[in-house]
Amino acid sequence: MSERAAKLIFWIGTLSSLALFLGMTWDTHRSFAALTHADRLDANVIAGKRVFEKYNCNDCHTILGFGGYYAPDLTRAYKRLGEDAIRLRVASPETAFADSYRKMPQQHVKPEEIERLVDFLRWVGNIDNNDWPPQDSDTRWKAATRRLVGGAAMSPGAALVAQENCLSCHSLGEAGEHRGPRLEYISTRRDAQWIARYLVNPEAVTPGAQMPAFDKLSESQRQAIAEFISSLADRRTP
Amino acid sequence: MNFKTQRVAYPYFVVALLLFALQLVMGLYLAFNYFYTVPQGVVDLFPFSTARAMHTNLLVLWLLLGFMGATYYAVPEETQSELAWPKVAYAQLILLTGTGVAALIGFLFGWTQGRPLLEIPTTLDFLVVIGALMFLANVGVTMMRARNFTATQGTLLAGLVFLAAMYLFGMPFYENLAIDWYYWWWVIHLWVEGAWELVTAALMAFMMIQLTGVERKVVEKWLYVELGLFLFTGLAGTGHHYYWIAAPKYWLWVGGIFSALEPLPIAFMLIDTWRSMRKSKRPQPRLTWVYVIGMAVLHFVGAGLFGFAHTLPQINYYTHGSQVTVSHGHLAFFGAYVLLNLSFFYFAIPRLKGFPDGRYDERGGHWGFWMLSSGVVGMSLAMAVAGVLQTYLERVQGQPYIVAQSPIRFWMAIVFLHGLLALAGALTVIKHLLTLKPAPVAEA
Repeated sequence: MSERAAKLIFWIGTLSSLALFLGMTWDTHRSFAALTHADRLDANVIAGKRVFEKYNCNDCHTILGFGGYYAPDLTRAYKRLGEDAIRLRVASPETAFADSYRKMPQQHVKPEEIERLVDFLRWVGNIDNNDWPPQDSDTRWKAATRRLVGGAAMSPGAALVAQENCLSCHSLGEAGEHRGPRLEYISTRRDAQWIARYLVNPEAVTPGAQMPAFDKLSESQRQAIAEFISSLADRRTP
Repeated sequence: MNFKTQRVAYPYFVVALLLFALQLVMGLYLAFNYFYTVPQGVVDLFPFSTARAMHTNLLVLWLLLGFMGATYYAVPEETQSELAWPKVAYAQLILLTGTGVAALIGFLFGWTQGRPLLEIPTTLDFLVVIGALMFLANVGVTMMRARNFTATQGTLLAGLVFLAAMYLFGMPFYENLAIDWYYWWWVIHLWVEGAWELVTAALMAFMMIQLTGVERKVVEKWLYVELGLFLFTGLAGTGHHYYWIAAPKYWLWVGGIFSALEPLPIAFMLIDTWRSMRKSKRPQPRLTWVYVIGMAVLHFVGAGLFGFAHTLPQINYYTHGSQVTVSHGHLAFFGAYVLLNLSFFYFAIPRLKGFPDGRYDERGGHWGFWMLSSGVVGMSLAMAVAGVLQTYLERVQGQPYIVAQSPIRFWMAIVFLHGLLALAGALTVIKHLLTLKPAPVAEA
């Protein structure tokens, strides 16, 4: 190869790739507003991002898959855990993770800062990023619940979930709210016995939990709800 | 050593090596946290996040100080002139080391920018910029005054300017998280798969010309081809970080295709290095080639193969942000940049000390290399196992993070054990380099 050819390879290789990269950067900037729902990116969300950075959350947690790999990804934490569970974990990690083999530091985050953090995670939870991460994929949750409905598995537990209005705080499939954790997510972590015990008095199991006690229900009713929720896990994997 | 001012390189090497040891100690603490439950009281005072900020910032700081020292060694030789301002070079070392130490102490007290790898607070960022400008001015003015331009010099200067310019993209506060990560990668990716590769290629070319006596024209011709391939694949290859950040879908195509080609220039570099060694006209201490070939091989395995393994979007959807990334990161940084620095130190220190023909007493050095390298390779393999487990349990099966982490703890204990071996190796290397003795006179 002549020196001239070598130089030609250098310039063509570098400049073509650079032109492509810069062109796409320009176009990507035009798309960010729609893909990230920038209209919902208000002062509270921005303040929340500052809180997120102030406490160095990102060196243990990942968000959009980047950061420390020591703690769960936060991209869809809002949809997975719900607001109350986020508040509880940030405000008193020493109780939230008392039984866990991995701890989160107590950083004395102020209550108003925690609210901004929730605003930030709510916004992040809704960005359109090709449905990543897979473990929190909305599409996958919805498909699992559709299979459940399609299988006519409408157990007494399911009827009780509807009757007791669980979905006014929790989410299930395409329905529900994001105050408490997603029911399918609970099912991946807890068995029926644990859920039944939790229903009697949430505060006794998780100090600071906001969920009301369901001690007015009979034991068999609580057991039916618990079995329904714990059965959701089996439908998770296609 | 042919020029007096090359001597400024030595303190850079010393500081870099000491920070390297500290970086490994922090790394061991991180691995320890993965398999042992550190009590809440300790976590509150010294959390994983702080140790990680220290581990990664120490890495960047010592590698960059190593590059700067290497540049100060190479530039007088390349330009055939003394360095413009040797005193500025010393002042720059003090400034940058001081800023680095201030940042590390600040992390302990929660003074941070809070963005991974770029935790240095903005106030200190400005000091880093001043240090970088002192460096670029010193190198640039030396080259301009000498007017003895070579392709190696050009590549080195271009790489360093590129490196410094990209740092600026990491400084502002970005309101939108997606845009934040978009430009975060301009620092991280365009460093390690752009600017740092230019610096590496230039320093390698410089060493090869000196070590082998192969004609400059030949070395520099291949340098052009290598750089063309590096930048062709590396620039648009940034796209493999844009799959899941809320960027348009075309990045899946561009990132996938360009980054699949990224192993090519590294393979090319490996072949080129091997060929240079075979054609070498000058005998060298065996350890020099152990390092240079070790670097070329592990650069290819860590950056090229381990990188390729999870760069396609179909795979990356499941592996992204798992221990698979950690495994790749460790072996790639070690193969490409740690070994480059150590190779250069072994090349430059005997010459700075004025040993005849750059020969030195190799005893101890071989042990250091093999312990350090097998430690890091073993560590990366254990992380890879942990990563594949995590990918399957958490990403495919949908187990919650903390449940899926449970079987991984065993593999992180294996990582820790290999980390101990790596630390022992590194301490051996550091001691050997800092107390290098001339080659024993051959007994007749």
